[in-house]
Amino acid sequence: MASYIARRLVLLPVVAFGVTVLIFALLQFLDPAIRAGAFITNPNQLKAIDAIIRKYGLDQPVYVQYWTWLREVFTGNLGWSQTARMPVGEAILRFFPPTLELTLVAFVPIMLIGVWMGTAAAVHRDRLIDHLSRIFSISFRSLPSFVWGLLVLMVTYGRLNWFPPGRLSLEADLFVRNPEHRFVAYTGLMTVDALLNGQLWIFVDALRHLAGPALTLTMVSIALLVRVMRSSMLEVLNQDYVRTARSKGLAEPVVIDRHARKNALIPVITLSSLTIVGLLGGVVITETIFNFPGIGRWGAFAAQQLDIPGVTGFTMFVAAITVLGNLLADVLYAYFDPRIRLQ
Amino acid sequence: MGSSRKLLALAAVILLAGLTGVAQGQVRNPDTLIYVSFADPETMDPAYAYDTASSTIILWHIYETLVFFSGSSTGTFVPMLATEVPTVANGGISPDGKTYTFKIRDGVKFHDGSPLTAEDVKYSLLRFMFMDRDGGPSELLLAAILDTHGTRDERGALKPGLFAEADRAIQVSGNTVRITLKKPFAPFMSIMAMWSMTVSKKWAITQGDWNGTAAGLSRLNNPKKPEDTSMFNKANGTGPFKFVQWDRAARQVILERHDTYWRQPAALRRVIVRVVEDFGARRLMLQQGDADIVAVSRPEQSGVEGLPGVRIIDDISRLITDGIFMNMNINVAGGNPDVGSGRLDGAGIPPDFFADINVRRGIAYAFDYTTMIRDCWRGKASAGNGPIPKGMFGHPSGGKWYTYDPARAAAAFREAHGGRVWTAGFRFGVLWNTGNATRACIASVLKANIEAINPRFRVDIRSITFPTLLQQYRESRLPVWILGWAADFPDPDNFVTPFMHSDGTYAKAQGYKNPEVDQLILRARFEPDPAKRRAMYAKLHEIAYNDVTTLYSYRVDFQVMRSWVRGWYYNPAFFGPYFYPMSKQ
Amino acid sequence: MGLVTVASRGMQVHRSRLAAAAAASAVAALALPVVRERILRFPLDFAAFLLFVTILVVFWVTPSDFTRRMRKNPLSVLGFSLIAFFVAVALLAPVLAPPPPTSRDAYLIPQTGFAADPQPPRPGHPFGTTEGQYDLYYGIVWGTRTAFRVSVLVIAIAVLVGLLLGGLSGYYGGTVDEAIMRLTDIFLAFPGLVLAVTVVAVLGRSLTNIMIAIAVVHWPIYARLLRGDILSVRGRDYVEAARAAGAGDLRIITRHVIPNAIYPFLVLSSLDMGLIVITAAALSFLGLGPDVGYADWGTLINLSRNWILGRPGEPFAFWYVLVYPGAAIFLFVLGWNLLGDAFRDILDPRLRGST
Repeated sequence: MASYIARRLVLLPVVAFGVTVLIFALLQFLDPAIRAGAFITNPNQLKAIDAIIRKYGLDQPVYVQYWTWLREVFTGNLGWSQTARMPVGEAILRFFPPTLELTLVAFVPIMLIGVWMGTAAAVHRDRLIDHLSRIFSISFRSLPSFVWGLLVLMVTYGRLNWFPPGRLSLEADLFVRNPEHRFVAYTGLMTVDALLNGQLWIFVDALRHLAGPALTLTMVSIALLVRVMRSSMLEVLNQDYVRTARSKGLAEPVVIDRHARKNALIPVITLSSLTIVGLLGGVVITETIFNFPGIGRWGAFAAQQLDIPGVTGFTMFVAAITVLGNLLADVLYAYFDPRIRLQ
Repeated sequence: MGSSRKLLALAAVILLAGLTGVAQGQVRNPDTLIYVSFADPETMDPAYAYDTASSTIILWHIYETLVFFSGSSTGTFVPMLATEVPTVANGGISPDGKTYTFKIRDGVKFHDGSPLTAEDVKYSLLRFMFMDRDGGPSELLLAAILDTHGTRDERGALKPGLFAEADRAIQVSGNTVRITLKKPFAPFMSIMAMWSMTVSKKWAITQGDWNGTAAGLSRLNNPKKPEDTSMFNKANGTGPFKFVQWDRAARQVILERHDTYWRQPAALRRVIVRVVEDFGARRLMLQQGDADIVAVSRPEQSGVEGLPGVRIIDDISRLITDGIFMNMNINVAGGNPDVGSGRLDGAGIPPDFFADINVRRGIAYAFDYTTMIRDCWRGKASAGNGPIPKGMFGHPSGGKWYTYDPARAAAAFREAHGGRVWTAGFRFGVLWNTGNATRACIASVLKANIEAINPRFRVDIRSITFPTLLQQYRESRLPVWILGWAADFPDPDNFVTPFMHSDGTYAKAQGYKNPEVDQLILRARFEPDPAKRRAMYAKLHEIAYNDVTTLYSYRVDFQVMRSWVRGWYYNPAFFGPYFYPMSKQ
Repeated sequence: MGLVTVASRGMQVHRSRLAAAAAASAVAALALPVVRERILRFPLDFAAFLLFVTILVVFWVTPSDFTRRMRKNPLSVLGFSLIAFFVAVALLAPVLAPPPPTSRDAYLIPQTGFAADPQPPRPGHPFGTTEGQYDLYYGIVWGTRTAFRVSVLVIAIAVLVGLLLGGLSGYYGGTVDEAIMRLTDIFLAFPGLVLAVTVVAVLGRSLTNIMIAIAVVHWPIYARLLRGDILSVRGRDYVEAARAAGAGDLRIITRHVIPNAIYPFLVLSSLDMGLIVITAAALSFLGLGPDVGYADWGTLINLSRNWILGRPGEPFAFWYVLVYPGAAIFLFVLGWNLLGDAFRDILDPRLRGST
């Protein structure tokens, strides 16, 4: 197992390098003047476009820009993001914790409901609950996530005034920002920080703001998990040891809980790290709708505005997270699956 | 499962939190005003900012100018940091129109408590001129005072001697600042009302900003990005609000009342400017009272009409002229997808297609302004008769313009290019920036109108991203494009130059050159007598009608706010809401 | 798959009654001059439709293991019918919604007026008109063609690239395998939407670029799938035997490996068909979709964005702008998902015995 993981670790930089090359190869398609246009906010500034191209080195061939960029990255400088109005590295550090928090909050219901529903569907295969779970999961998957997001926003904020957009309400926001209150951001996760600072009302406030986007993410991401859990469970139920357990006369709930579900969870465990990665893609739309200050909203905006350092920084960061997530999934899989563990 | 019980508890907490939400009907956050728009500011530095979002925040709120606009007028001024508005009569303006003397007000304090001096004013003006970033606003003062367009030569080096010249042009003695222009420049007072934002010299230097000498210029000049200036994220002005914080991740700026302000301190204790892109969220924030004033674009208007507790103020005149631009010398080098075959064969147009006045007249007569105004602007725009918008000095209200007349349009097209336009037909593209629903609508109207004249006429409408649009029209690649121009300062010169001068931003891209126009623009710019000036601009509008290179229209805007917002008023020169006189009740 | 020769008697009766009803309504429709005239205007499209119906009927009537299994699950039948319905709509698009005579591109939705506020369903506009007064009915009918065009082309590109690279990788192993698998790692290092957003942002907005962007995201999965299948097949006795008998690499790949990989490909690609349309709609939402006015469901849904919240006091004032295109996407994706599930249940040998 150690060598398996070691091999994965060795490959990590190779993939990382490939990712950067891929992104920069894409940028080759852009005309320098178009990229210079991203620095212009007002048609009244047009006279200076050539000077802007020279100033930002946009007239250099892409491989030169790539080399410059790579050198900068190794000195810790990822460039300046036009849309975030801050250095890319700083932007990532600022935008990632809220997204992480959102992802974690959405993750809990996804796993709970997903595992429960997938098991139920497999155990009662081709019966009502199986069909219902199938319809449920497919329905959520069959409409674009922004439709769900806007509907959630309309109902939970517009009608009920429960889950407002943003990250904190004005009162909480001003409290957190006011240096007199000495609110320390230990983790960057607002809910955790609120508890650590002993401010329960801020915890509740932060949770209210997380609920809307988390609900949307849950609706959109749960489908896959239900399906995977179902087929994994079906496979396990067919295995010899389950049949043996059944033939021994063990009660069905015991068989399912003790023997089947535990083993069926193996692919789900690996899938869970991939679910987090999937959520990172999902936040692009959800955060835009709920005006949640996370990395997804920034990334989408950077792409629209052709903020090249922003887009590259965002895409590469997300790629890095994905690669690490995949690595974690492999490790977990190796740990839980005896066939690999014993190698 | 034990975790499902926890989940239930969690749901209960969230529910409870929801129920304790603030009840409707009462004023939310009575001493805080929240303005929600859709564009981020670029910087807090008054010498770098040249976008509406930044100016909305800093101009007249954090930093103040020597003079200010009187009420809703753009041509009359009241003193602000100066004690009186210089005129020829009170001796503030020299008889030759070149020297302006401003007496600086006593007892004005910066936000850090230090007093305002005439030195601060001089420092601020010099700093504004010599920051001169590419594409920045510095040219406005450089052109007005030093009659030059930039501080750098062709190779990008600072022009020798220019600083010394500027240093001499702005003289400080005691508490007066005397500015001597190279040439008399009629719009100078308008420029001073917007671009003389005054920073504290001492404070700036302690922040590591420019030290005020020629030797320090190389560090000040042409910063690469907004964060490279020390005032990017800091401010110390004299205005009614202090800068507290700009959180770029949360996309909000917090301003707080300046309690030792030289006038009556503001009624609002706090102003928060937030950016929320999605209209749905913005609208709901307004509905729930989490936003007091929101930016709404015209096509979204019916989403906020009739919201309880919300007031819509319409018919706000803006100093903006929108145009449909026709290109008389289309650049087709290396292929151009918007001219079809590139020949007058029914499948394209030649590069000089619009050079024939009959084509331009045909389009002007074919275009149905009434439909455009009704459907694209919800009735809130009017046909233009030249570059100078309504409500601005120099706009001739009785100016002639084309009205929808298919018969005359057909007659003009029949004459164009020796009759070949009518027999062969044509095909060309009309472009605008993606996401602008109003312009998309205008393009559709234009297409339907032109194609209805003759079945052989074809118009392709296409949207491209804003940067691409700017780049391509500048390279004269677009046959027809739709764009607007907003005033840098409220003066007709700022409109006739880009639209009509052969070196102007738009006219140059359109390949328009009329020596009479160029001369007239220069003469009007330096003409001190308002009556004579007015006649010259009327003449320019007449030429705009005759030469018809552009189809103009003037829009009016609207502002959406909670009805509990008091004290709102507007001036066409404003970039956004003016918070100082506002309150909530 | 062996043919099953006996079909139940009851099913046959039911089927013949259904067929009679269908034939009767078809004749009744043909009696209308409007219908006849439209068919005559677009004979090719109508012929394609007839051909499709014939194939469908023949397939459904011919007893086979596949159809027998399919019939057992009502959800599979639903999925199958939905997709059959959409194919029919796509083929009949010009008959159902004839482009106006002046139209230059049938995919451009005709506009009646230019005002922003959507207008409710009314005669001549059965589904109403959306922001900018584009006819929703027309957009949805022609959008069906767009949906198929996008999804089929993307799948085709992804499958082809996947077959090629996955085949090379699995069959040759060693360095080739290593290199190709690392390449897939690189492409899989992005959440799908993120990579697609970046690609479209850089290449520019157009339907072609959207297809390229989505295909770029999807191919590695197919490559990996095929590689895995090859690895599992390679060691098997009959492949060894074929090799011993002197069969060349290409022959082994085309004769033994690809036929085995077809079923998983079929399952995956039918599930992907829906996903692709959803991804394209997400790109539209982010402002990276085709031009407004192009018959595309994602674009239509995006046009509903400002109206989903209704008017103050009337939350459902503009229901039609979301419901019609929403239903089109929903049913299309639902159909493919159900069909994909059906394929999996029917074709996946591992689950075969479990019923």
